[in-house]
Amino acid sequence: MLSSCLKLDDNLFNNDNKIKEYKLDNYTGEQDFILNASYDIPQNFITLFTLESQGPSDSKPTNIRALYIGDISKIGTDTVILYCHGNKWHMDFYWQRAKLLAHVNGKNKYGVLMMDYRGYGLSEGKPTENGMYADVGACMKWLKERGLGNNKLVIYGFSLGSAPACELTANSGALTPSKLILEASFGSAAIMVQDASQLNMPADYFTNLKIDNAEKIKKVQQPFLWIHGLNDNFLNYKTHGEVVYKNYDGTFKTKFMVEGADHGEVPAKMGFEKYLSVVGEFIGK
Amino acid sequence: MSLCGVGKFIPLAIICCVLQNCMPSRYVKPLAKKQSAAAFSFGGPLITFVGAPIPIPFSALGYGYGISDNLTAYGNLHTTSLLFSNAQADLGATFNIYKKENTFGITASPALQIAYNVRNQSGFRIWPSTDVNTYFHPDKKPSYFYAGFNAWFELANLKAHNEKQQRHLIPNFQVGYVIVKTKWQHQFETKYLGIGIPNLPGVVDYIGISSRGSFGVYYTLVRKF
Repeated sequence: MLSSCLKLDDNLFNNDNKIKEYKLDNYTGEQDFILNASYDIPQNFITLFTLESQGPSDSKPTNIRALYIGDISKIGTDTVILYCHGNKWHMDFYWQRAKLLAHVNGKNKYGVLMMDYRGYGLSEGKPTENGMYADVGACMKWLKERGLGNNKLVIYGFSLGSAPACELTANSGALTPSKLILEASFGSAAIMVQDASQLNMPADYFTNLKIDNAEKIKKVQQPFLWIHGLNDNFLNYKTHGEVVYKNYDGTFKTKFMVEGADHGEVPAKMGFEKYLSVVGEFIGK
Repeated sequence: MSLCGVGKFIPLAIICCVLQNCMPSRYVKPLAKKQSAAAFSFGGPLITFVGAPIPIPFSALGYGYGISDNLTAYGNLHTTSLLFSNAQADLGATFNIYKKENTFGITASPALQIAYNVRNQSGFRIWPSTDVNTYFHPDKKPSYFYAGFNAWFELANLKAHNEKQQRHLIPNFQVGYVIVKTKWQHQFETKYLGIGIPNLPGVVDYIGISSRGSFGVYYTLVRKF
C-alpha cells in the first residue's frame, strides 16, 4: 500500500479536481499563454458537456467532462481535432491551447474536442493510464455518433496526452484518426526514469505505467507531425521526442523544432501564427 | 516545471534518484580487527522545495565487520528503496591504501550496488562503485576530517529502446567530518553529486552549480561493538 502510494503513477497525474466550474476565458490561474481578443470564440461555438466513458476493465461507466469548440450540428462534415491535454490540473489550463487550435486554417474552420480525463477538473473518478485511453476513446465514440468519419479526425497529443494520442492512433477505437500530431511528446516511462537517473534503470522500479510511445509509434501508418521545444526541460526532445520520431515508419512524417522553447512554451515561442501555419499545413496536406 | 505541482516533487525526486549515488561514504576508515558496527544513514541530494533547500530523505541500515585492521567488509540495505518494493543493497569493503597512525591516511572502498524489483520479480541490476577518501586527524584526536571522490559505473551499452547508453561514469565529490566516541560515531558529509552532469531535464529542482549536479547532505550514526 505504502509503496504504491509512492509510485510514479500517482505523481504523473497532476490533476486538480477541486474546481466547481470551468471558467475558460475567465480563468485567472497560471497558464502557459493567454491569447488576445482576436482569438475569442463565439459563445454559441463553445459546448461543455458530459459523456460516459467505460474501458474494458471498468465495471461501470465514469462521467467525464468534455468541451467542443465549433458547431456540433456540423461534426459530420467538419474536420475535428481531438486534443489530448497534458497531465496538469484541468481543461481551464488548456483552454487557450484549444482555442488556438480552433484557428487552424481560419477561425472555427475545424472543430476541436478536448476532454478532462477521469479525475481531472469536473470529470469523475481517479486518473489511471487505462482510464485515460478509455476517456479519449469515449470522445471518439461521441464524435462517431455525430457522423464524423475516420478521414476527418486528427488527433493531437500534448505531453502526457501523447500517450492516448499514440495509443488510439496505433490501436483504433470507435474511429481511426487520419493524422497524428504530437507536441512535447513522451518517449516512454522507461526513458523518463533513465533520463532522471542517468543509469540503465528499469522503469518498473518506479512505475506501473506502460506508456511507451516509442514502441507504439511503430504501428502508426497515418501521417505524423512532431513539434518539440529544443529547451524542453521536462521531456527532452532528444531522449523522448526524437526516439518516437525515429521509430515512426509510416507514410509521412515531418517535424518542427522550436528554438528556446521549454516544455509548455512551444506555441508561444514559435509564435501563434507560425504555429497555426505549421499545424494547418500538416492537416490541410 | 509546468508538468508537476510543487506538492508532488518530493516523491518524484525520490523515485528519480533513489538509486543515483544517493548515499554517503561507508567506513571512511576501516574498523579494528574483529570489530562489528551497525550503521544508520540518512540524507540525500538537496532540492528546492517550496522555496527552501531540503535534502531528499534517503535512508539505509547496515552492518560492518573488521576483517583486519586494514580491511572492513560492509553491507547496507536501502530502506527508502524498499518503500518502492525495490530491494537495493550496497556490499563493499574499505581498505587502507596508506596510513600514518592517528594522523593521516588514504582509503579505498569498492562496492557493488545491487537492485531488484521485488514486486515484479524483475529488473536485477548491479552497478559497481568506488570511493577513494583521504582523512586527517587534527591534533591527533580520534575525530577526523575527510575528503574524496566517489564514482558509479554503468556497464550497459544500451538503454531503453536500444538507444546508446551515453554515460558510463557518474562522478561525485565528498567532504565530511566524523566525530568518534568510544562506541558511537557521528558522520556528517556533504557531497557534490554528478559533477558536471546537467540536472535538467528533471522533475525536481536540484541545487547544483549552473544547472549541473546536485549538492547532498548526509548523516550516519554508527554503533561499534
